[in-house]
Amino acid sequence: MSVSRIGAIGAIALSGALALSACASENPAPAASASSGGTSGASAADCFSGDLKAEGSTAQKNAIDEAIKAYQTACANANIDYQPTGSGAGIKQFIAKQVDFAGSDSALKTVPKDGKVEATDAKNACGSDAWNLPMVTGPIAIAYNVKGVDKLVLNAEVAAKIFDGKITTWNDPAIAALNKGVTLPATPIKVFFRSDESGTTENFTKYLHAAAPSAWTYDPAKKWTGQGEGKEKSAGVATATKGQDGGITYVELSYAQQNQLPMAQIDNGSGPVELTPEAAGKTIATAKQTGTGNDLALKIDYATKEAGAYPIVLVTYEIVCSKYADAETGKKVKSFLKSFSSDAVQKSLTSLGYAPLPTEVATKVQSAVNAIS
Amino acid sequence: MSALKTDQRVPEDENMTGDSPTSPPPSNRSGNEALREMSNPHRGRAIKDLIARIAMWVSFFVAMVPLAWILWTVVSKGIHLLLSATWWTGNQRNINSSDVGGGARHAIEGTLMMAGVTALIAVPIGILTAVYLVEYGRGGLARAISFMVDILSGVPSIVAALFIYAVWVTTFGLDRSGFAAALALVLLMIPVIVRSTEEMLKLVPNELREAAYALGVPKWVTIVKIVLRTAFSGIVTGVLLGLARIMGETAPLLILAPYTKNFQHDLFNGNFPTLPMMINQDRGDFALASAAARMWGTALTLILLVLLLNIIGRVIAHFGSVKK
Repeated sequence: MSVSRIGAIGAIALSGALALSACASENPAPAASASSGGTSGASAADCFSGDLKAEGSTAQKNAIDEAIKAYQTACANANIDYQPTGSGAGIKQFIAKQVDFAGSDSALKTVPKDGKVEATDAKNACGSDAWNLPMVTGPIAIAYNVKGVDKLVLNAEVAAKIFDGKITTWNDPAIAALNKGVTLPATPIKVFFRSDESGTTENFTKYLHAAAPSAWTYDPAKKWTGQGEGKEKSAGVATATKGQDGGITYVELSYAQQNQLPMAQIDNGSGPVELTPEAAGKTIATAKQTGTGNDLALKIDYATKEAGAYPIVLVTYEIVCSKYADAETGKKVKSFLKSFSSDAVQKSLTSLGYAPLPTEVATKVQSAVNAIS
Repeated sequence: MSALKTDQRVPEDENMTGDSPTSPPPSNRSGNEALREMSNPHRGRAIKDLIARIAMWVSFFVAMVPLAWILWTVVSKGIHLLLSATWWTGNQRNINSSDVGGGARHAIEGTLMMAGVTALIAVPIGILTAVYLVEYGRGGLARAISFMVDILSGVPSIVAALFIYAVWVTTFGLDRSGFAAALALVLLMIPVIVRSTEEMLKLVPNELREAAYALGVPKWVTIVKIVLRTAFSGIVTGVLLGLARIMGETAPLLILAPYTKNFQHDLFNGNFPTLPMMINQDRGDFALASAAARMWGTALTLILLVLLLNIIGRVIAHFGSVKK
């Protein structure tokens, strides 16, 4: 008897929920896509049919999603999947031959780490040289959430101390000195970092290490070495910061924008610079190529003092085999990356919070893509 | 109910500690009885009875709160997507996280296919193991198998997934695929089926077996035609509950079956779409209204699929039982 009574209550609760939800259901949002469509970078002759698998950096997810959409729109029989699992995971799967190319926020390492050299492992997996092709550049925002503070200026020194837990409250004199006229509360600073292995972390720590070597003494790495609380993926840190008064994190521009988080201006020594794709592009333009031939690994000058250059940027690469064991796969990768690196697709990425590749770099990338076989 | 009819009384100084506003009053019937049958010598027992009853009801409601809450959240946030026809016919090709539209058919088909293949492998192994344990198994081997099944049922899904990854990808050098994920799910499903089938077979009265033997029927025919037939509805229910259990598993999919937004019916080559992975994909872009809505819609779809399987299980259990 009691069983049937419980059942009845459950049924009432269920049907109540269903009935209420019927009222609460919103109308489907208009089916207009915010993306800048109509950028078909692939001509019909270039199309492959079949599957192409890629995995890696979350920082380039939005960019590659857009590029995939452009390609698939032009090529109805092509299926391209990109798993945004992080740069570290992408390279691991590439070396394990589970994906056709990897997305990574940093070039393959040529120095041993844990007894392994990424570049060598990748070369062995390919049976040919593995190339780093810069494809997308994205600024990293220092996003924060402090009640009543809409404008914040930081420099490398202060940022390093904040992310290392040396500065613990928002009204610290070091922060106040950079923000004259801004009323800073005594709220404790809560740092959120990426708990997964991330190229964003690596590029951010590269910046701190290069621009404030005395304040940030750790070696740049994919794993966070500073203080704070770990959250998974770009979306994780952005959401956590949004929900925490006094929170601060480093995250790609597009995620800061999605979460409507204010972003700190960075004083690189020549005055505060607001984060814009153009300001980030100025820093990328100073980058030097470190790879040889078609391996286009770049070295960014994070300590740049150029006026108007936003120094915290990352270049995300596609890591490919120069010659694929399976020629068919090589053709697919080449065809897709040709479209991805084309001017039309590159230009469409600006609206998603990415900076365009400097012309000089873009030309090199296009010729390298043509050399893939 | 007989316990309620024994002497009991409601104390005047009701000790309601731990009670919450949601706790219902004891039902009228037992309350009246309790008042009528007041008698001092049993005061202590009556108090204990009352406390136990309140505790039971409070626990029941506490247990119901998250369930109702989850259902309400998922239904209210996801139902509007399910009302459009494209949700059931389309896939997510060219739908980026900031776009709305598209459907979940690729993932629904994928989840059902993967569950089907898993069942195809796990059900025969599970049922035959249970038959061995109940009908044939004596001594050390049976005890060892039973022990192993216990261990297997305690294996976390991530461990099963990593085990298959180690065998399938690292050792044999094969690609991640839907089938590899199905193999990991098989490991999770077998113990569920063995245990539920075992219970059902044990419920078959021994007299039925003895009657068959008395008529000269061989043991294996008795098992196939008498024991399994009698336990049929229970076994089917167990299988469907096992299926419902593995359909929502995410860890093996994360490790072994990368998601694709396209239709994919090949379990052996390429990435494979499933509902849990579709949820996971959109979870990453939770800040976007479009991705969040899709995530809730997918979650609701998965819940409905599991619910459907459970209902089918109940129906078979109800109508499929052997006529007396």
